[in-house]
Order: sequence, then structure tokens, then C-alpha cells
Amino acid sequence: MALNHQDASSPAAMREPGEDSTASVRRDADAPKGAVVAATKRKEPPPETLGSIHLRTTVILSFWAIIVFFGLPLWWKTTAIYRADLPLDEMMDWDKGVACRPVFPLRISIEASSLQEHEAQHLLRTTQHALDDLNDFSAHHLRLQLAQPANASISADGSTTGGLEDEVALTIKVLPGPEQASELQSYSPVLDIYYTPNQVPSSSSSSSPLATYIANQLRTIFAEEQAMIAHLLSTSSAPPERSPKAPPPEVAEALAKWTSRSMKYSPTYHLTFSLFTPTATPSSWDIETAIEEHMKPLLDTLSSISNFTIDTQVQLYASPGVSGALLKKEDLSGFINAAEWPLSPSIGGAPTINFILYAGDMEVEGGGRSWLIPQWGGVVVQANVTDLRPTMLIFSNQLLALLGAPEAGSLPLRLMTLIRVRSAGLLLKASGTLGSLARLTRALPSISIPQSVAEGVYTTIEHLRKACDGLGGKEALRNARIAEEAAEKAFFEKSMVGQVYFPDEHKVAVYLPLLGPIGVPLVMGLLKDFKAWKKRRSAI
Amino acid sequence: MRLSKLLQLPLVLTSLLLPLPVATEHTSNWAVLVSTSRFWFNYRHLANVLSLYRTVKRLGIPDSQIILMLPDDMACNPRNAFPGTVYSNADRAVDLYGDNIEVDYRGYEVTVENFIRLLTDRVGEEMPRSKRLLTDDGSNILVYMTGHGGNEFLKFQDAEEISAFDLADAFEQMWEKKRYHELLFMIDTCQANTMYSKFYSPNIIATGSSEIDESSYSHHADNDVGVAVIDRYTYYNLEFLETKVREPSSKTTVGDLFDSYDSAKIHSNAGIRYDLFPGGEKAARERLLMDFFGNVQNVEVDTTNSSSGNSTDAEWEEDILALGKKISELRKRQEALDLQAQAQVNNSSSVPPPGSLKSEVKLPTSKIRAAKVEVDNSWFGKKAVGAWALAGCSLVWLAGSYLESSPSAS
Repeated sequence: MALNHQDASSPAAMREPGEDSTASVRRDADAPKGAVVAATKRKEPPPETLGSIHLRTTVILSFWAIIVFFGLPLWWKTTAIYRADLPLDEMMDWDKGVACRPVFPLRISIEASSLQEHEAQHLLRTTQHALDDLNDFSAHHLRLQLAQPANASISADGSTTGGLEDEVALTIKVLPGPEQASELQSYSPVLDIYYTPNQVPSSSSSSSPLATYIANQLRTIFAEEQAMIAHLLSTSSAPPERSPKAPPPEVAEALAKWTSRSMKYSPTYHLTFSLFTPTATPSSWDIETAIEEHMKPLLDTLSSISNFTIDTQVQLYASPGVSGALLKKEDLSGFINAAEWPLSPSIGGAPTINFILYAGDMEVEGGGRSWLIPQWGGVVVQANVTDLRPTMLIFSNQLLALLGAPEAGSLPLRLMTLIRVRSAGLLLKASGTLGSLARLTRALPSISIPQSVAEGVYTTIEHLRKACDGLGGKEALRNARIAEEAAEKAFFEKSMVGQVYFPDEHKVAVYLPLLGPIGVPLVMGLLKDFKAWKKRRSAI
Repeated sequence: MRLSKLLQLPLVLTSLLLPLPVATEHTSNWAVLVSTSRFWFNYRHLANVLSLYRTVKRLGIPDSQIILMLPDDMACNPRNAFPGTVYSNADRAVDLYGDNIEVDYRGYEVTVENFIRLLTDRVGEEMPRSKRLLTDDGSNILVYMTGHGGNEFLKFQDAEEISAFDLADAFEQMWEKKRYHELLFMIDTCQANTMYSKFYSPNIIATGSSEIDESSYSHHADNDVGVAVIDRYTYYNLEFLETKVREPSSKTTVGDLFDSYDSAKIHSNAGIRYDLFPGGEKAARERLLMDFFGNVQNVEVDTTNSSSGNSTDAEWEEDILALGKKISELRKRQEALDLQAQAQVNNSSSVPPPGSLKSEVKLPTSKIRAAKVEVDNSWFGKKAVGAWALAGCSLVWLAGSYLESSPSAS
């Protein structure tokens, strides 16, 4: 096609080489009219062949096909955040307390061997009636049953007899005695009730002083537990109508103190017994036997709730944070010399409870020599460390307080209450964690949720269900423990870290340089081809 | 307006009917002190953090409850004319790097990821307890950050940055998991106030050194050290804490501290944010500084066993002796229960939840975007401008190609 430049003065030839050649071709066709025409009317290119048009359209469409069917899915797939399916509604139900209505049916068996069968039945009915009248908190109710030899086949509410089979919270022994009295046995959960013969209810009366007396006694015994559970429920997100009315201020204060004092639940606690001496002596203490004798039995009984590991240490020349023989109460918080005393919290993965024996001659204002530091441990000041017995007894008491055991009642009852309160607490905590996780999942769409979280959630729900069904027993505590652990693990999943916030401007900044050079030719090519197609259509 | 108030009324009433939650106080204090910059010329940022570290320790927070993040080691920097020490004042009276410095995150461990992991406690099994923020719903936390920042970001180590949105989301996750009771957030960096502008979680008091488009300045340089040793905002905070909060029983309030901010001295306008705190400005200002800078322990003294020790002693002896017996008994019963539990069908049917439960408690289904605190009125405007800019580019391109291809060009 390349022709020589015939006319250098021709304006058309001056313009562009491409146009130049086409113009020359056209000028050859109508030669003599020459330059003037060429300058005003441009020559059109020869019409494209149908094949090349088709080829171009196919090229453009295949590019688009690759982009749409391969590029976009690839981009979508590689930039999507994996989010496992979580049963969000169910999780929220647990959190709101809809999925589980915590009910603590406490079985209390009455042993009334001295009474006639029908008298005992009657006593049971009237007492239950009196109890129900007194109780204003439906979640925690006492259910009486007769503990009788096998011949008694029918009991008041139709449930099977045989208190041994069910988990009995308390056994009441109704015994004849000189006067009305009650005594809580300190070795086992047994309440002895003494009655005078004239108090035996006649079968006609609907209430009897003995029944009222027993009901009142029971209520007193379980008042603290009831208040604790009510407190737990009221501080959770459970629907309000389930909680009883507000407790009186002194109870509320005691409960607040109990909450702030007791350690957060952990399956394992680490106990550190430390002896700090201001001088070189005493440099040893007989801690091993003391723990063996005084601590171990208690820890063994607590083992159904938590495990314990123990270590001990002796530090010489340790000076406390405050000095003087008489310690002021407000100085006590500074007594622990946190900067210098090696009370490291990082022994193992469990929270540490510290018990400190300071071998000095000091006294707190008002005459105390020991104090408890909420959620941390206990301190005893004692000059002589040869007899560790009193110290260990104080430590045991402090340990129970730190674990959140109630203050009143016999030890077995306190432990059983602790089990129930802990399982309620764990249940509520795990439910709350589920709710938090559900809300976070909804609120933070940029956070990834691995499959392990979903598995943890299902484990939690399964065990929560079991725990909720059997609340009050040890099995419930076990299930609640598993549920709580799984819930915590799911919530604190390591890979769920939301530090991937990109403002929209960043996204534009990332994609524009990438997509600009690709997108513009693609779109323009499509548009041009579309225009050409339309033109052809209208021309036909 | 009136209608919405009427609608709120039942809510108010129900909240009155509810058992009033006991006004619980915090049970522990934690401090997270973070410097985010490396290199010798950022000496002052580490000095800032170490000064604050010294202050909270002085006021009683134990080391185990302080998380200290130092990205560089100024004390051992070869350029340090006073090896092994860090000073925050040209008088060099107090060596901040003296005894008992427990740095939890050091050097290249100070990253955005680690910081967010620390706050949200999403850490691996291998993380020791001393490097974790083991707070609960009774913990008051002081979060102090310093470094180089800009509008809605804070640089970490010259390599990455944390955005205000990520920080806000991290706090929200903490709140959601009940990991703090109240939180005081302080930040000393350029345009610091933008860092807390995106927070949306309750119970946070936030304060920063400078407004948007405003720098935060250093206070003075030590000519022998050769660099600036402390920032102005931190300097005046510390000055207040040193002079007004002498001992742990101090009753100085947060409001007193905020009132002491003087933009003439700080050379920038320190900002304060109260709106997230329940009770607003008034309640927040009444909080004691010791609630955040000190450690409160409500010690319970056992007075019973001091004089009348014998009775408790005897009682306990009895109990513990009884325990021995009880254990065996419990064990037996436990075994019996275990056996029986396998066979026993769950006959204690739980009461099904009544269907009439108040289900109008609203599900927070809507996505919370971090930026929701600031109602962006010109959101659509911005989007429109952006769209127009993009459309304009395309138009110019199209026009160009059109002009090029048009025959009238000749």
C-alpha cells in the first residue's frame, strides 16, 4: 500500500502518515481534481470484511467471558472472609435466657420414723404448702419428699420414693424431743428437728406449728443460697420477671461484697503459700505437714468443683510495703510489697491464690492479725511460725470465702451450695459468652470465623442444655464447666482478630490502579463494538 | 419528638421495676501503657510511657497488672550518654529505668496485632499470664498510648498503623466480653483526638493531646541526652499527678485533672470525651483519679479470730476432722450417683419456656459500623462526589475518544 508522497504541499499529506496513505489512495482514484478536494473530504477506509468483524467481536467477548466467569469468581473467592455458620438465633436465645429457665429443684427428704405414715404424709404436705407460701422466687424451690423404707410406695407428689437415689440436698430428721428445736449436723447435710408430742399435726388441720417451724428453718438455711442465685440471675441478661424482688439493702451489700470477693471461676487454681520474714529467722516452716493435715482434706472435698495445685516459698529479709507495729486499716492494701515480693502470677495457666504468712509482730488497728484481699488471697501476721495450725485454719476459711462459698451453715451444706451457685454462674456465663459471640458476629462483618468456633458453639449449646436440665446436681456442674470452657475457647479463638479495617478510600486506592488500565480498554472495546453493531444494523 | 418520649416511658418504668443493680465498684486495676515508636530520636515516647509506668506503680498498681509495651530500648542505645538510664526531665533527678522495670512486650513484639490480641485476649496457649490482660467485669483499665499518629491512625514501629476503627472495635469486643468495668483512654500523639472519635463502647472516658490537624509537641530537650525527653501533654499530666495525687488515699477527681489542661502550656488543644460514660460529663468528672491510676483493694480484716480465737479454732478443728469422714462418704455417694446417672433417664423435666416471654427485647441485628458515633450527615454527599469524580474521569476519557474518532476533528 505504501505509495510515495506525490505532493508535499498537500495539506492532507502534511497531517498524519496514516491518513496520508489513505488519502493518496483516494486521490489516485479521482486524480485531476486534486488537492482541494482531499483537504475538505476525507477518504473512508475500505469496509471491513464480515470475518474480521466477527473475529473482533469474538475476541472482545472472550475477554469478557474470562473476566466474568473466571476473574470475578476468583477475586470473590480469594478476598472473601471465611465465616462459619453459627446458630446465631439460638445463641441469642441462650443469652436472653429464653432457651433455659434455670430452676433449682432442691430435694429435701424428711425422715420421720417416729411418726405414723399418714402423719408423716400430712406433715410433708403442710410443710410443702407453708414453704410454697413463703417462697417468692420460683427459680429456686424446695421440694420435700419422704425418705422411707421401701414399703412406702406412694409419696406426696407421686415421685418415686427412695431419697438415696435422687440427689438429696438436705435430710430432715424429725425426732421427738422435750422441746421444739433444730440443729444442723456439722458432718453431713442433716437437719435435726425436735418436736414435742402435742405438735404432731392432726390430719384435719391444714397447717400446723411444726410444719411452719420446719418451713421457716429451711427458709433460713437456704436464704443465703437463694439470695446468691437471685443475684446471679438479676445481674445476667435473663428476663426480669424471673428475678425476685429487690433484696433488702443489707443483703444487697453482702451480695455485692460476695461478688467482689470471690475469685472468677477456673477449673484449676494455684495456691501459693509464702512465708515472708523480715530478718534471717525464721528461715523454715513445717508447711508440708501443715498442708497435708489441714489443707488437703478441704481441697479433696472441693475437688468436685475445681482442682488445686500448690507451691510454697520462703523469703528472707522481706519488708512489707508499710511499717510500724500497728497497721492502719487503710494501709493494709499497701502491705503487700508488690514490687519486691516475688508473687508472680504466671505459674502455670491457672489463677493464683496467694496465702501469705508474715513472721512479724504487727497488729491491725482493732485487733486483727489476718485479713483477706478480695480476689487475691489472704494474709496472716504471726510472729511465731512453729505452730502453723491456727494459720492454716484461717487460710482454709479464707480459701472458702475466696471461692465464693456462703458464710453460714455447716460445711457440707456450704459446699453443696457452692456447687449449685457455681453451676448457675457458669451456665449464665457461658450463655452470656454465646450472646457476645453472636452479637460480635453480626456487628463485625470483617472478622473471620473459623470452623473451630462453630464446633465450640455447638459443644457449648449441647452441654448447656444438659446442664440446664439437671441443674442442682454435680453432673450439671460438670456440664456447665465443659460448656463454659468451650464457650470461652470459641470466643477467644486466636485467629479471630479484627485488625483488617480498610476504609473505602483505601479500597478505591488499591483497586483503581489495577482495574483502570484493564477496565478502560475492556469497556471501551465493548462500547465501540456495540456502536459499530448498531450502525451496521441501522444501515441494513 | 414527643411521641418518641412517650415510647420511652414504658422503658423507663420497666427499668424502675427491675431490681436495681447493686452499685458495684471495681475490684481490680489494670494499666496498659504503650509506646509505639522506635529509634533514638523518639526517646521521648519511651520516656513518656516509663514516667506513667512509674506513676501507676507509685500509686499501687502491681507489676502483674501493668502491661508495658516498649518497642525500643533507649537505655541500652549506643547513643545514650547515660547508659542504662532513661530520664524524662533535663534535671535527670529520677532514673525511670531503675530497678524493677518489667517490660511485657519489647522490641518487635510491639505490633498492632499483638496489641489487639492483648486487648481482646485472643492469644495462644503459649502466652504466659504475665503478658495477658486478665481483666474482668470489675476491672478498671488505664490505656495510655503515645507515638506518631495522624488523622485516625497511630503508627506502630514505622511499619504499620492501628486505625481508630480497629481500636474502637477492640474496645467493643472487650466490652462485649465484660472485660472492663470502666476505661480511661489517654493518648499523646499528633491529631490524637481523632483516635478516640470512633469509640462506641460504653464506660469509656477518653482524652487526647491534640485536635485534628494539630500537632502534639515535645516539652523540652536534654542537651546532654541530645533529644527531646518528654512530650508536653504527658509532662503536664505527670506534673498534676506528682503534685496533686501524692498518696493512694487521694480524692482528686478526673475532672480536676482535665481542668488542669491548659492549651497555652500544652501548645495544642487537649480533647476530652465524656459521652460514652453513663451519667455523662458529671459522673465521669466525679470519678477519682485513683480509680484508674491506683490499685484499690477492699481488704477485709478478720477480727473474729483475734481474741476469741479459741472458739473458731475449736469449731474448725471439728469441721476438718469431720471432713475426713465426709470425704469417704461423698466419694461413695458420688460413685453410686455415677452408676445411677448412666441408667437414669432424665426425669426432672425442665419447665418449658413460656411462649409469652417478652420477646420485644430488640435483637441488635443491625451491623454496628465503627463510625456510627459520628453521624456523618454528608455521607451521601461524599459518595456522590466520589461517584461524580469517577464518572467525570470516564466522561473525559469518552469525550477524548469521541473527539479523536469524530470526523469533525479535521
